[in-house]
Amino acid sequence: MPPQITTSPLSRPDGSATYTDALSTVLAAVNGPLEVSRRDELPSEATLEIHVRPAAGVGGPRERWLEAVLHAVLRSVVLVHLHPRALVQVSLQVVREPAGGGVGLGKGRGEVAVLPALVNAAVLALVGGGVGLEGMLSAVLVAVGGKGELVVAPGVEVLEGCESLHAVACAAGGGLVMDESTGRFDLGVWGEVVERAREACLAAFASKGEDEAMANGDVEAEPWMRQVLEEKVRDANAWREST
Amino acid sequence: MSATILLPGEELPSDSLPKTKKGTLTLGPGLRHIPPTSITATTSGSISVDNKKSAVWLENTNGRYQPSTGDLVIAQVHHGSTDTYHCALTPQTPFALLGQLAFEGASKKSRPHLLSGDLVYARVSRAVKGEDVELEGFNSATGKSEGMGQLKGGMVFEVSPAFARRLMMGSKGGVKILEGVGEKIRFEVAVGRNGRVWVDSGNVRTTAAIGRLLTSSDENAWDVEEQEKALKKALKDMS
Repeated sequence: MPPQITTSPLSRPDGSATYTDALSTVLAAVNGPLEVSRRDELPSEATLEIHVRPAAGVGGPRERWLEAVLHAVLRSVVLVHLHPRALVQVSLQVVREPAGGGVGLGKGRGEVAVLPALVNAAVLALVGGGVGLEGMLSAVLVAVGGKGELVVAPGVEVLEGCESLHAVACAAGGGLVMDESTGRFDLGVWGEVVERAREACLAAFASKGEDEAMANGDVEAEPWMRQVLEEKVRDANAWREST
Repeated sequence: MSATILLPGEELPSDSLPKTKKGTLTLGPGLRHIPPTSITATTSGSISVDNKKSAVWLENTNGRYQPSTGDLVIAQVHHGSTDTYHCALTPQTPFALLGQLAFEGASKKSRPHLLSGDLVYARVSRAVKGEDVELEGFNSATGKSEGMGQLKGGMVFEVSPAFARRLMMGSKGGVKILEGVGEKIRFEVAVGRNGRVWVDSGNVRTTAAIGRLLTSSDENAWDVEEQEKALKKALKDMS
């Protein structure tokens, strides 16, 4: 099942999006370019500020870690040099996460499981907010089951019984920009995981021509990210058709 | 009409470049040139081409207003200093500078005295990346105000920058509200590219009603029919 997206659910920020998949729901808001405080100012590029709020309670070390990972990922696609001495603010509110923040999943799994949703929501909000991007980016969660089978975008029941869990993000060229793994696995398994994840990530925004090439295999071949973004542009230009 | 839609990072197909003999090519918002020959999108949008001006840009509605030279904006004075006013164009962005003498007929002896909170209809005279934006309250080439200057009375309404742009396009923008109200009621209006509309009809009730029509048309993306329906109802309530 492709993820459910709402574009621009919020009216006040410059760009916003909600992202819902089998495991988590994330609400993202983007503001920028804004005035940056003297302390954070960078003379040649925009400062990227990420805020992650958990579904319940206030953020702690876990959220700081997620922010650090996301900062590195998003900085690789945002054209920071276009807005020197400015601030781009990305706020992510986790609305729903697997098994209440991963308490019942084992150490580290809840964090890795929510990462792809955070990345995807942030990218959709950044595009919606008109922040210049180098290229598209999407993330996917891959679980390796007890018998070594790979499950792309797993559900909660798969998550509970899996050997290892991998959050992988790929940029448009196929380059790996995020790889956070947890559990027991070896290099061979990891290589397979990355290959499958790359296919799934690129399929999310593949254009119609490339789409057929991706369709082999049971990876969800539907370019959901492209569909959502194109739909939004079409809606925005709908008034032209009627005049 | 189904223009090609690009996503960030995608290359502009060479067949959608403007077909002119003019030697220069102008790239508008949403596109960037990577030497030597590729032009890629930085955001999502549909490709628009102007053959006459040899320009190509991405048509989209997303994001915050980015000042560019020549835009007419509604600026709000935040504070003044010895020879400039510091004005807000959009929230949370650095203030734009408006010269105290950048008004029609202003001299050292007689110049408009603006207080914090006052509104000015101004033009962006300079917008360079990483530097302060500069505004002017008159056309510095001719010395005439051309409709710019302080906005007294009335109310300001916030709309999306894309809707403000449609309002400025007049009848081509597909918004019939201002013309429709203008047939029945006398009012003044100023539209700023930064997503602000100033309306003054001399009467708070009608000013608010006009503003409400505009903001709800923007929020609900009314088409022409829905606009006319709401307009009829509002005019009935006003009279």
